[in-house]
Amino acid sequence: MNEDLIKQHGLTIDEFKIIHKYLKRDLSIEELGIFSAMWNEHCCYKTSKKWLKKLPTENNIVIQGPGENAGIIDLKDNDGIAFKIESHNHPSYIEPFNGSATGVGGILRDIFTMGARPIATLDSIRFGDITTDKTKYLLNGVVHGIGHYGNCIGIPNIGGECEFDSSYDYNNLVNAMAIGHVKNDRIFYSKPKTIGGLIVYIGSKTGKDGIHGASMASDVFSEDDEDEKRPSVQVGDPFMEKLLMEGCLELMSSGLIESMQDMGAAGITSSSVEMASKGEVGVLINLDKIPLREPLSPYEILLSESQERMLAVIEPENNEKVKSILKRWQIDYEVIGEITDTKRVVFSSNNKNVVDLPVNIIVDDAPEYDREFYIPKKRKINDFELSNLNIENMVENLFQNLNYLEKSWVFNQYDSTVMGDTINEPGQSSGIVKLHDSDKVIGATTDCNPLYIRINPEKGMEYTVLESYRNLVCSNLKPLAITNNLNFASPLDPNIMGEIVLSINGLRKSASQLDTPIVSGNVSLYNQTNDRPIKPTPVIGMVGFNDNYENIISNKFQNESDLIILIGNSMSKNNSPYFLQDQHIVKKVTQFNELIDINYDLEKKNIKILYNVFDHNLVTSCNDISRGGVFLTLIKMLQNNYGFNINIKDKFDIFCEYQAGYILTINKNDYGSIKNIFEKNQIEYQNIGEVSKESIEINSKKFDYFKILNDYLNNFEKIIN
Amino acid sequence: MSFKSAVITFPGSNCDRDALVYLKTLTSGEVLNIWHEENSLPNVDLVIVPGGFSFGDYLRSGAMASKSKIINDLINHSKKGGYILGICNGFQILSEIGLLKGALIQNNRLKFLGKNCFIKKKYQSDFNCLINKDQVLKIPVAHNEGNFYCDDSDLKYLHDNELIAFEYCEGKFSNSIANINGSIDNIAGITNKDKNILGMMPHPERAFQNFHSSQDGKLILESLLS
Repeated sequence: MNEDLIKQHGLTIDEFKIIHKYLKRDLSIEELGIFSAMWNEHCCYKTSKKWLKKLPTENNIVIQGPGENAGIIDLKDNDGIAFKIESHNHPSYIEPFNGSATGVGGILRDIFTMGARPIATLDSIRFGDITTDKTKYLLNGVVHGIGHYGNCIGIPNIGGECEFDSSYDYNNLVNAMAIGHVKNDRIFYSKPKTIGGLIVYIGSKTGKDGIHGASMASDVFSEDDEDEKRPSVQVGDPFMEKLLMEGCLELMSSGLIESMQDMGAAGITSSSVEMASKGEVGVLINLDKIPLREPLSPYEILLSESQERMLAVIEPENNEKVKSILKRWQIDYEVIGEITDTKRVVFSSNNKNVVDLPVNIIVDDAPEYDREFYIPKKRKINDFELSNLNIENMVENLFQNLNYLEKSWVFNQYDSTVMGDTINEPGQSSGIVKLHDSDKVIGATTDCNPLYIRINPEKGMEYTVLESYRNLVCSNLKPLAITNNLNFASPLDPNIMGEIVLSINGLRKSASQLDTPIVSGNVSLYNQTNDRPIKPTPVIGMVGFNDNYENIISNKFQNESDLIILIGNSMSKNNSPYFLQDQHIVKKVTQFNELIDINYDLEKKNIKILYNVFDHNLVTSCNDISRGGVFLTLIKMLQNNYGFNINIKDKFDIFCEYQAGYILTINKNDYGSIKNIFEKNQIEYQNIGEVSKESIEINSKKFDYFKILNDYLNNFEKIIN
Repeated sequence: MSFKSAVITFPGSNCDRDALVYLKTLTSGEVLNIWHEENSLPNVDLVIVPGGFSFGDYLRSGAMASKSKIINDLINHSKKGGYILGICNGFQILSEIGLLKGALIQNNRLKFLGKNCFIKKKYQSDFNCLINKDQVLKIPVAHNEGNFYCDDSDLKYLHDNELIAFEYCEGKFSNSIANINGSIDNIAGITNKDKNILGMMPHPERAFQNFHSSQDGKLILESLLS
């Protein structure tokens, strides 16, 4: 087989040699296509597998860890939660609307494939410098796409993050997370059981869209690639997905399905290989039976990534019942093959086998690399000159940064209240939904601190996990588990590979410390255009729980004259990277001090005390402190024209980042009780002021309340228009 | 007397379950779910045409659903004086059928809008009789085509016959604007001439439980039940 053809399929010559040696024959073009799809980074994690194996993935509530369509955790009483995050970075850069829309569609299928009804989505999106028309176009298209798909199918978007940084100029990031509610005795897996079971195709017809999508997503871009690669982007149809979801959930609740797998990246190839591998069986599929939108060659059928398609295995006697349910939902349905005992993947067309491969060569022999990596050098210790900063200009600097402004322009394009169970809408520390027909609630958040991770990948990752953890704790949710989306540049660069290895290690450490196993995830590498890598962006999605929605603590002020209490330690002016960046003190990543060590004891102590005072009904509202410090936390807590009047001795501590930092408000009459509890448990706290009405006063300086509010709420829209 | 009600489901409806919960929680009578391919509606007091993206809304919103089999009997139901509440896509469908005046066109800012909005009663009907004049209700909207439009003569007709049920207004928080989507005269909901049909863009079925951000949506169904 000629070398160019092999390279065009994203395989190295060495990889091809492995295949050739095993098969002892030449490959058909269809077979080469299969290896191209299955051996790329996106499908087989060849670079990251070695390191991902080290992550904690189990504890007593994990029902399903990584390796299935989504992870599942147990919420007792037969309730489970399936969740996962996935990236659609490259497609969203090439075609922002469809790229991001199909990202949402794909992650939703991962959830309902397991028998779970999706109940919420979140997103994590990152773009370059907002002043360029290109970024505005991407932002508009991505938000429109995410919104359109989720709004139409009717799943509430309950939160996420949106950040701007010029490292994403040529490579925006679009990660979508979905959460579903499943009954634990009705979870469906991709593993088929019955030899002779029918393989059925359910959903949209197959077309040319997305051919080689998965291998494109594992490639470095060059700038003139965009137009050329556009046909590789899938086109989404949320209406079809809605029908498919209702149809599949009905089939599953009627007990008509044996196993199911969605046709995601690498379409029918990866879904059928996955099924054969999980069940240790073979599959025999007749490609002539596949419902087609247009005439396609067997090669194209195998690699098409047309959306809204499912592969299922059913027992032959259920065929008619399945057909009639899907007819009612107006969904295409075709028996295309059967489960065999050969442990081979066989695709036929025109009575000829175009693919005939043993399952184990495709899956078990997939390459795994141990790439070279560098560990970053120790940093010097700097004492920064901050004499130019006063409270007024620090406030001003924060509001000039797009990343700190309220992003209702984004989340108001999402339906966050459909399904009628939303408790916390976007724009709060976490999104919260109630399980239908139950008092139980689930909260979720997506987070990443790319700057911290750039400074120190391991500690930075630990801080990211802690931030998610605090996001959930402050609403009185118990964090349970993590899904991750590791977005990095090219692992062929040992510096980048170092970021990958070390941040996975940080994730391992913090997840072990906090007992929040990683139950699902995704890796997106080669996020760079030419020589411009993105900042390391390992995003995590964390899910938390409370057994009654009435226990949820608001993130917003509730009453005038409530006292404002601060707990946690300031990371101090010299060691708060975002503070130093926001105040224009440090402009280069190399100049920051080393991140200070994580203090898990303090984090855990403060978490424990918060649950304690929440249980005693002593807290009227609570929020965690992250970027932008105490000041921005208080701004986020404003509602109904409440303001605040605070005093903090060191003015920089108003804007610095915190360890284990939280703001809580309490009724004045409860101060004695809170004081007792804090002192008995040796919690350091400060009473920094009180909630006011229509005023903001910091260290005796009065600010124009409505100007601040207006800047915070409306500047984002002004800047992007 | 027990109050019977039904919710129609079209392919692509996504607020049908929410509407069913709204009815089951606030009424004591039977609540039925009717598939769009049925020929006839059961004998009920109220039919909700729910929100969503019926048939994907790839044509004008609500246009495909307005040709569904069940629609003939929905029209009969209205002729007999039965109540119909069309919410969001349901409002669009009722406009497409011609049971309500005007049309819902794309929001003036050309974007989907999902947030709490504020409305108050304009003219009295059975759907809002428990709501006081000048009482501001907080209810979520979630739509791309909620910009109510009609020509001058229809607008005059709506005013002369007092058919405007709800209009958008300013909320309590300093940052809210009244007219969120460009609707003529801030119209958020209208009735037919006999006032037994209400179409509205805000979603009362998302604002009635104690965990919702508002319970003002109750007032619409409670008005009808009073």
